[in-house]
Amino acid sequence: MHPLLIVFLIFGVPAVLGLAWVFLRGSESLRRYILTRIALTVPMVLILISVVFLVLRVMPGDVVSSTLGPKASDATRASITEALGLDDPLIVQYFKFLGDVVTLDLGDSFIGARRPIVDELGERLPATLELIIPAAIFALGSGILFGTYAAIRRKRPADYGFRLYSVIVYSMPIFWLGLLLRLVFSVWLDWTPIAGRIDVVTNTTLDRTTNLLFVDSIISGNWEALKSVLHHMILPALTLGLVLSGVFVRLTRINVIETLQEDYVIAARARGIRERAVTYGYALKNAMIPVVTVIGLQVAILLAGAVLTETVFNWPGMGRYLIQRILLRDFQAVQSTVAVFALFVAMISLAVDVIYSVLDPRVKY
Amino acid sequence: MKSKKTWWRVVALLVALALIAAACSSDDEPTGDATTTTAPSATTAPTTPATTTPAGPKTIIIGTTDVISSLDPADYYSTADWELGRLVNEPLVRFQPGSNSVLEPGIASLPVASADGLSYEVTLRDGLVFGDGLELTLDMAVEQLNRLMNADLQASAPNQVGDVLAISYLESIEAVGDNTIRFNLLGPAGFYPQILAGAPFVVSHPDVYAANEINLLPDTPLYGLGPWIITDITPAEQTVLEPNPFYTGTYPAKVDQVIVQRFSTPSAMADAVREGEIDIAWRLLGAQAADELRSVSSLTVETIPQAPIRYLIVNHSDGWVTADPLVRQALAAAIDRDELSDVVFGGAVTPLYSPVPPGFLGANEAFEDAYQAPNNTLAVDLLTQAGYSESNKLQLDLGYPPEHYGVTTADGVLQISQQWEATGLIDVNAIVQDWATYVSDCTNGVAFDVCVLGWFFDFPDAENYLQPFIEGDGLGTMVLCPSESCGDAVTTGTDPQLNQLLLEQRAETDPDRRAALLGDLQDVYAAEVVTIPLWLEPEFIIYRDGIVGDSSLPSPETLNIGPDFEFIYSVLDVVG
Repeated sequence: MHPLLIVFLIFGVPAVLGLAWVFLRGSESLRRYILTRIALTVPMVLILISVVFLVLRVMPGDVVSSTLGPKASDATRASITEALGLDDPLIVQYFKFLGDVVTLDLGDSFIGARRPIVDELGERLPATLELIIPAAIFALGSGILFGTYAAIRRKRPADYGFRLYSVIVYSMPIFWLGLLLRLVFSVWLDWTPIAGRIDVVTNTTLDRTTNLLFVDSIISGNWEALKSVLHHMILPALTLGLVLSGVFVRLTRINVIETLQEDYVIAARARGIRERAVTYGYALKNAMIPVVTVIGLQVAILLAGAVLTETVFNWPGMGRYLIQRILLRDFQAVQSTVAVFALFVAMISLAVDVIYSVLDPRVKY
Repeated sequence: MKSKKTWWRVVALLVALALIAAACSSDDEPTGDATTTTAPSATTAPTTPATTTPAGPKTIIIGTTDVISSLDPADYYSTADWELGRLVNEPLVRFQPGSNSVLEPGIASLPVASADGLSYEVTLRDGLVFGDGLELTLDMAVEQLNRLMNADLQASAPNQVGDVLAISYLESIEAVGDNTIRFNLLGPAGFYPQILAGAPFVVSHPDVYAANEINLLPDTPLYGLGPWIITDITPAEQTVLEPNPFYTGTYPAKVDQVIVQRFSTPSAMADAVREGEIDIAWRLLGAQAADELRSVSSLTVETIPQAPIRYLIVNHSDGWVTADPLVRQALAAAIDRDELSDVVFGGAVTPLYSPVPPGFLGANEAFEDAYQAPNNTLAVDLLTQAGYSESNKLQLDLGYPPEHYGVTTADGVLQISQQWEATGLIDVNAIVQDWATYVSDCTNGVAFDVCVLGWFFDFPDAENYLQPFIEGDGLGTMVLCPSESCGDAVTTGTDPQLNQLLLEQRAETDPDRRAALLGDLQDVYAAEVVTIPLWLEPEFIIYRDGIVGDSSLPSPETLNIGPDFEFIYSVLDVVG
């Protein structure tokens, strides 16, 4: 089974099951909303990749010249241009492209070994997921924890400290932060590896099924590989997660402060409920609602941040791949990668909206 | 309820702690010495310190930023393709390690030219067996080599290497007798043995590479006649090679496994070799990074005798200011290569005074002889003769790509601009342009008076440093336009000796006579200022203590890598 398919099953099946559960148990309006959002995803992605198609085609430069360099003769350039279909009229190229999209044919890369894009993404998408998921977990976990603590210690040193932390980490350029962390922890302290997803030699012992190395090492019982994967994951995930955690610290803090001033919270205190229970059982749950909304927006930033993080840590993910292919004008790869990104963001965004409605029964779509 | 919540919290905490402990306690990282890491087993991959004698098999990890373009021999294009290709598929003939002029037999004998110079014959060695046990036959060899001559196959190939190295030179490749292959040339080409030493001229496995179909990324294991088998490949990450048990050639493997690890940036690779995560850093590190690594005591940093060059394309076609030979000569005279090297590269690059680098047959210093640059007096004189003055300065467009050749390109262009403007008679307009548009604008002669390019040979011979800039559109020089590749460009006044000498040296098979002709050609080339050679681009090999080359071969200090940049992994060994 293709790794890309396995990855989609790993994430897609629970998502679909969750969606189905919400769909069946939710209100009529929610069901209509979910169906409408799913239906709207199709034209949304189509418009996006059409814009990308057009921009790539009108951008100066061509894939043949940029990859073959000065050595290629005009005859060679013409021959390869024809083989790639790039000399067809734009409208012909567009409808061929749409036809491929409809049949889920991502095509072949224009450059290098001209591999099927689906194979390239099958290697790189899991790498990016393995970066952004722990980063998101760290960002959310630390953001909520610190933000809540800052809220309950309002106007005290801890509050000022975490607020300063949030501004500092959010202001840091990811690229710079990554290089700094790598310098300190990998070079000076030698606590973490320099680059990559897994130790070079250990990688040769790992049977890759999903290309999610964390999952593959567990499936194959390769505990050395699992240790190596986790070890390599720390710094890149930390780099990406730190920057985003600043957002969640501030958002959580503000919302918890507001919620702690609500009447029902005051009433709970008056009934003698312990402060910890009031904070985490009453206030935090309700303060999370706006945070959930922001998660959806931050996913796109996570993907953008992944591009820089992957470059710093030699992480062979989709972000780095996309940058390389844009510079080389590999239209096919860029279009397909953007489409996958768009689908991913759309799915997360839908999930966020659905979760939002589950968390807050007052919400009606 | 409360106890259930507490229990879940405890479980969650324990899981988190276990994960953190697992991550932090990882002992699979080679702390300073990857060289003695044992060959992997399914469950454990213990490391041993470098100072102890390795108990198990030997693995060497080579880091590189090179990218694989094609693993089909009929379309080997990038340096990575050639490197891996010649390890898996031993070439017919090869250059001696450390040399770019002395050939030695590979799977065949040295080429023997016919009396008329129109054919070369090589004789296959006996007992050649592919890595999977398949025995080589003469017909198999000829069929596989003829993939380079297959026009349909080449048309489907992304790089069309066969067009450049085979179809344009050869009439046919045929079997002769029991074990001889004859290459019939379209016309005399005294340098053709050098082409035969190139990576595309290998006999690939017939089951992997069909006669009529390109196979850019074959499945592994990938077997050939060479000393190595590619057992695994993830193009963006790593390539794993293990010894070919059936290899009978000159360079059998000394270690049990070589892993080529790909890096996206030179800085990550530099850090990795410094920290011992890789044993060797090879291509494309850069002078500054290499200099910084010299201070690391456990590393050896060596410079490879250079073959890639950096130069300026000068547009000769009518209508451009550089059509005037006086202008071109003035530009050549005003360049201070030593200053360029010192200011931009800290002295790390070698000034280049001819399009043909030192060490190649016939190489001289024609530009130094002609102009004794920097020679501002001569430059001013020439520009004045051309009609330029302080009130009527030469307006010159100089194009360059911002990143393709590294960040030092902009500094080099700035330095060159300042040198030209120091004559007082030139105003330089430096134009930066993204590579994707730059390369065609520069080589089509449509956008710049002068533009920066880099060059690495297709085959290591002076011909390949001269012909591309003279014939056809000259990659933007346009010296022999009009021709079918020139578009509308027309150039008048080019010295006819340029083309004459090019053709004469090409047909000459006697090395001494050919060297003399090449010398004359370079002199005319310099007088015409076809291009302006600037510097030899350094390449560096960095390796950790315990890694050695073969001391019985030339240049063991560079792990036996010579100007042809062939890295024979078989010379590598781990000691200590």
